Amino acid sequence: MSSTAPAIEVHGLHKSYRLGRTHLHVLRGVSFTVEPKEFVAVVGASGSGKSTLLHLIGLLDRIDKGAIKLEGVDIAHLPQRKRNRTRCRDVGFVFQFYHLLPELSVLENTLLPAKVDESVLGWLSHRSARRRAAIEMLERVGLGERMKHRPKELSGGERQRVAIARALMNRPKFLLADEPTGNLDSRTGKQILQVLKTASRDIGQTVVMVTHDAAIAAAADRVLHLQDGKLTGK
Amino acid sequence: MYKLTLCLKYLVKRALAYFAMAAVALCVFLMLVCVSVLSGFVDKIEVAAKGLFGDIVISSASLSGLGEYDELIARIRKDVPEVQDASPFILTFGILQLPGNDFRRTVQLAGIRLPERARVSDFAKGLFIQQGLRNPTFDPCEPLILRRLGEDYERTFKILKRVAEAPLGGKLTPDRQALADRLFNATVFQDQAVENVRNAKETARRVAELQVQIQAADEAGEESKRDLLEGQKAAVERRMILPPGRRAILGLGIAGLSFRTPKGEIIRVIGAGQQIALSMIPLGRQFSYADITPVTRNFTVIDDCSTDVSSIDSEIVYVSFDTLQELCNMGAQRAAGDAGRIVEPARCSQIHVKLKDAPGLSRAESLRRVNDVARQVDAVWAIFQKTHPDAARSSVAVETWRQRQSLLISSLENQRTLMVIILGIISTVAILLIFVILYVIVVQKTRDIGVLKAVGASNLGVAGIFLTYGGAIGMIGSIIGTVGGCAFVWNINPIADWIANTTGFTPWNRETFMFEKIPDQVDFGTAIWIVCGAIIAGIFGALLPAMIAAMRQPVEALRYE
Repeated sequence: MSSTAPAIEVHGLHKSYRLGRTHLHVLRGVSFTVEPKEFVAVVGASGSGKSTLLHLIGLLDRIDKGAIKLEGVDIAHLPQRKRNRTRCRDVGFVFQFYHLLPELSVLENTLLPAKVDESVLGWLSHRSARRRAAIEMLERVGLGERMKHRPKELSGGERQRVAIARALMNRPKFLLADEPTGNLDSRTGKQILQVLKTASRDIGQTVVMVTHDAAIAAAADRVLHLQDGKLTGK
Repeated sequence: MYKLTLCLKYLVKRALAYFAMAAVALCVFLMLVCVSVLSGFVDKIEVAAKGLFGDIVISSASLSGLGEYDELIARIRKDVPEVQDASPFILTFGILQLPGNDFRRTVQLAGIRLPERARVSDFAKGLFIQQGLRNPTFDPCEPLILRRLGEDYERTFKILKRVAEAPLGGKLTPDRQALADRLFNATVFQDQAVENVRNAKETARRVAELQVQIQAADEAGEESKRDLLEGQKAAVERRMILPPGRRAILGLGIAGLSFRTPKGEIIRVIGAGQQIALSMIPLGRQFSYADITPVTRNFTVIDDCSTDVSSIDSEIVYVSFDTLQELCNMGAQRAAGDAGRIVEPARCSQIHVKLKDAPGLSRAESLRRVNDVARQVDAVWAIFQKTHPDAARSSVAVETWRQRQSLLISSLENQRTLMVIILGIISTVAILLIFVILYVIVVQKTRDIGVLKAVGASNLGVAGIFLTYGGAIGMIGSIIGTVGGCAFVWNINPIADWIANTTGFTPWNRETFMFEKIPDQVDFGTAIWIVCGAIIAGIFGALLPAMIAAMRQPVEALRYE
């Protein structure tokens, strides 16, 4: 990936879904760029296409029309194997509902991207370093004492911190957060936002955060407004 | 690495997995037990058939039998180098009675040559008095008989003491009382047998004395005294140890002569040292129906023999070959007035042939070898028959042990195949269960699948989690099933005895199943196949859910509620 190109380049992006007989045109020619290490918030009402935009940038879904370039590389034509690797190494996701695996402890949840990244043999040789990194990440988000706990034993804010630690585990270049505070009270939400900002800044990540809360979005370097599948202001 | 981690977590944390494992374990257990027991039957038939009749049997279709057998045996030994030994055998029907008793029972009478018989079969292995002797005879030494009878008496007495001990001064149950009575009765008979052997010389002398007295009374015309002496002599004669030609070896299992305690211990009532009467019809050589006149002779039991084949042990009484030949009218017939010229050769029913040992041969190679030798023996017989036209009056068959038992073996092999098919069908339930359980897990874990894909897991990787999971269920279930199956098969006889003692239901009827014991060896070759099959079944059951999981789009999975 070229280091001189914008971190994220979205051009004329279209995406539609079929819901039964209805054809839902969610994104209607969205274009914008995000510079490296920039923290961008995408604001919009429910159903405006924010999450779809995030999924397309994070290679979780395929675009219908237009282009997305991550550090100058057009992701539309990446083979599946490279898409998987990009998701694993270059992109970190934080979801509104945390999406932690209930069978795994806090530490194991945090280690999940590292385990996906390693073969069995690779894991055996890098296990100690990976564990150290995970523990460090958990301490950074304030969960150093709760590593052996299961997700069900944590509060909402703590769960989101685990999700952030997991997203940062492989030190990805892009952090994509989908309503990270949407399920939390405003005080906890602000704390989580602070954690997100600090951690991503320390690692030097480009962050795209989707939210419907203007107060949360105000914490970003830049805010994009999405309405009916189109950007209305930058 | 995540595949292994999640697979292990799902195995430990998901209680549903235990049901699938239990189903697999049960299927493997059933399959292993059924196949091992049925294979054990086939093996037992092989061992029993070879042990009893040798590798090859030459038999006549008619009771008139096979003549010139010693010459034929010599010819076979000379012309077929693979043959180690051969021995003639007479088999006929008879009635066993106990002198002075109204006990009667039909039996088969086998005329055997000892110790020659021990060289062509495993006969010597099952003897009681002459246990471990390489050359058993109908005339074992007296100290040996007394020692073994004494040991048996002590054993029976110990069992009697155990059975007759009332629990804490209470009364014996009616069943236990009846058993104690039977055991006591057995000790009386065993004691009498020991006395008979110990006093054999004295008894013989007393019989001779009585004979002289009878003769004297006869000459003096004292009829009443003679009758009294005759009665005394008959009573003393019942305790006599008759000469070797008039001795018998009982199959250990003839109803009424021995019985089994609920714990499976065999108790001899009539054994060595006691007399029996055998009646038979001399069918060996008859020229008109009027010739058939039953003959009865007393025999002294000198030993008993257990072959492990219930149908044989409960039926056969072994006597001297020459004696039975004579009683069955199968001996050589000499021309009247022609100074001993033989007009009819002596006959036997069968000739049992034993092959030399050939270690290192596989089962198939061994069967091929026996077939080859049988063909050679048949060729020898074909030539022999031309030069000895009187040797057989009816057709003669040369068969291997397997050909003789082919009906039984093929029936058992068919049963085994059928059982495997039925259990295979039942096992599909386990596959279905794994499928359902994994499908449920895949549905429950849809969002987790989305998360995994969001952190970079590939379709193949996600499928791998569930395939490994299915395979692990199959493997763990089959290990549990194999361990349980092995433990069950190895202890199947004590378990059957325990069920019989506890519930009164006898799962193993020796008369129905022919053998004394249920086969208790695990067929490990089959066990490996069953384990592999279970693992493949587990993976097969997981295949569709794994594919469903793999094909889930990450976005759809993350939005799943």
